Amino acid sequence: MDHQITTASDFRSTSIPNLYQLDTLLRCHICKDFLKVPVLTPCGHTFCSLCIREHLNNQPNCPLCLFEFRESLLRSEFLVNEVIQSYTSIRPALIDALKIQKPITDDDKIRKPQDSSLIELILESENDDSNTADDDLQIVATSERKPAKRSMTDILPLGSKPSKRSFTMFRSERIKKKSKPNEQMAQCPICQQFYPLKALEKTHLDECLTLQSLGKKPKPPKNLNADLKSQDKETSRPKSKTPETDKSDEVSHVDKYLNSIAKEEHQRLPKINFTSMNLSQIKQKLLSLGLSTSGTRQNFIKRYNHYEMLWNSNFCDSLEPVDESELKRQLLSWDVSHNKLPQNTNNNGGISKLMMMKSSGKSSSYRKLLENFKNDKFNRKGWIVMFQKDFSRLIKEAKLKIKSSSPNGSDLTKHIHDDGNEGKLQGVQETDVQQMEEGQEIPLTEKQEVNEINFPNEDLTDADLSRELMDMNEDGKDPPGSD
Amino acid sequence: MASLPKRIIKETEKLVSDPVPGITAEPHDDNLRYFQVTIEGPEQSPYEDGVFKLELFLPDDYPMEAPKVRFLTKIYHPNIDRLGRICLDVLKTNWSPALQIRTVLLSIQALLASPNPNDPLANDVAEDWIKNEEGAKAKAREWTKLYAKKKPE
Repeated sequence: MDHQITTASDFRSTSIPNLYQLDTLLRCHICKDFLKVPVLTPCGHTFCSLCIREHLNNQPNCPLCLFEFRESLLRSEFLVNEVIQSYTSIRPALIDALKIQKPITDDDKIRKPQDSSLIELILESENDDSNTADDDLQIVATSERKPAKRSMTDILPLGSKPSKRSFTMFRSERIKKKSKPNEQMAQCPICQQFYPLKALEKTHLDECLTLQSLGKKPKPPKNLNADLKSQDKETSRPKSKTPETDKSDEVSHVDKYLNSIAKEEHQRLPKINFTSMNLSQIKQKLLSLGLSTSGTRQNFIKRYNHYEMLWNSNFCDSLEPVDESELKRQLLSWDVSHNKLPQNTNNNGGISKLMMMKSSGKSSSYRKLLENFKNDKFNRKGWIVMFQKDFSRLIKEAKLKIKSSSPNGSDLTKHIHDDGNEGKLQGVQETDVQQMEEGQEIPLTEKQEVNEINFPNEDLTDADLSRELMDMNEDGKDPPGSD
Repeated sequence: MASLPKRIIKETEKLVSDPVPGITAEPHDDNLRYFQVTIEGPEQSPYEDGVFKLELFLPDDYPMEAPKVRFLTKIYHPNIDRLGRICLDVLKTNWSPALQIRTVLLSIQALLASPNPNDPLANDVAEDWIKNEEGAKAKAREWTKLYAKKKPE
C-alpha cells in the first residue's frame, strides 16, 4: 500500500493535463484513492471491494446512482484491477516524465507502448512552435551525447525504416529537449548505463539495486535494446520485454489477468439475521470462526459483520487473498478502535490469543494492559514502558520529517514572546523537553498555556528547541520595548 | 480515535487549493475533522450579499455517515431552524459515500437559492413563507442584513 497522498490534480502541471481524467476514473468514489480490489455493482459502477461492502452494511444501494442491490451481486473486475496496478506502478514515472519534460529514459520508453505515442505527441506540439533548423543544428553540434543518440536510434518507430528527414528531425528535437532543462547525464554505477541524473537518482538506482539483489544481472544496455527491437518486430506483442524489474511487473499484469480465476477455496460467509438468534448461538457462531467473544451482543454482531465483510472481500474478490490470521489481525485493530467494549471484559477469544502471540515474551502483561485499553484504569506507564522502543522510533521519524519540511521556529518565539511572561513559560518548555525525551505525558497544569506552547513544541526538533531557549534567554536579558 | 483517513486529507487539500466560488471551508487547527465554513448567499435570493457561517463536523464513520452541518449565523429560512439545523435530504437519508464536503456545501447553497416550505424544519417560517411569500422574503432579506452582513474588506 502506498502511503503517499496523490490526487488527480498532479497532472495539472504536466504537458498532458487531460490525464487527470484517467487518473480520476481509476479512483474509488468512496475512499477517493485508487481502486483496491475493484468490484462491479449490478448498476455498472465500480468501487473498492471493502469500501462498497462497508457501505452496503449501512445502506443496500449504490452510492452513485442509489440503485438498490444486495452484496452477493458484486462481481470482481480483474481487468480493472490489473489496469490500476499497472497504471500506479508507472504513474510516478509518467508524471515525472511529463512534468519537467526531461528526455524519456530507455526504460520509461519501453515500459509501456502507449508512452511512445505520448512522447510523439509532445514532440509534435513542440514542432508546431516551428524551431528553425539552425537551432537544431547548433544544439546537435554543441551538446552531442552519445547515449542519447544511441537510444534514439533504438526507439525509433519500429518496422519500416524511417525516412531520413523524419529521423533527423526527431533526433534533433530530442537532443534539444535533453539539453533544455540542463539535464546532466550520469553513469549508473551498477549497470554502467547512462541516464539523466534525476532519473538515475529517483528511480533507476533503486531498480538496478533490486535487480541485483534478485540475482539477475542486467544485460549491457546496447544489446538489450537491440534485442528488444528485434523482438518487437518479430512478435509485435502488446507488452514488450524491458530490461528493468518492471519487465516482470509488466508481463505479470497481463498474465495475471489471463490467469485470474475466482478462487473457490473458501466459502463466502453469509449474512446472518441475528434478531432470531440468542446470545449463546451468536457466541457459538463467533467461536466457530475463531473470533473473540468479548463484549455484548451488540459487539458480537458488529464484529461478525465486519469480519464477514473482510472475509468476503478477501476471499471472494481479491486475487491475492491473505490468510485468515491476517484477517483476524485486521479485525482486532478494527475492534479496538471502533467496537467499544464495555469495561473489564476478558478477552478469551482467538483474537487476543493472536495478539499475544504477536507480542510474545510479554504476553501476560500485554494482555493485562489490553484489558483496560478503553477505560480509565488503563495503565499508561506500563504501556509506555512496553512499547518504549516503538514510540521513540516513531518520534524520531516524525522529527526527521518535520525537520525536512519548513522550520517555523521563529513563529513560536514570537508567540511566546507576546505572552509577556517568559520566565514561567520557559520553565514549562524546559520540562516539556525533558518529558518529551522520556516519552511521557506532560501534565496539564494550565490548560490554555500548555495547549498553546505544547502543540508547536511537538513539531520541533531538539536542536530547534535549544535554539528557541537560547533566543528566549537573550530576550530575557534584553526586554522588548524597553526603549 | 482512528487516525485521519486519507480521504479526509485529500478533500481538505482540494478544498483549500481549489475552493468552490462563494464557499470557504477551513479545518480547525486542533481537530481536522471540524471545519469552519462560510457560504455566500446566492444571487437573486433573499440571502444575496450575506455571508453565512456554518460549522461542519466529519463523524468517525465518515464517509459512511453524512457530515454534520449547522448554521452558526441566524437565518430566516423554512428548512433551517433556530438552532441552525438544516433539513436537507443528502445530510440525512440520501447521504451517499460518493458525496463529499464540497457537494454537501453546494447543496446547502442551492437550498438557500430555493427554499422548500413544503418540507419544513422551522414550522413558523414555513407557514409564513406559504402564506405570504413576499413578506417572508423581505424578512429573510432583513435578517441577512442584520446578521449576515459581509465584513468590509
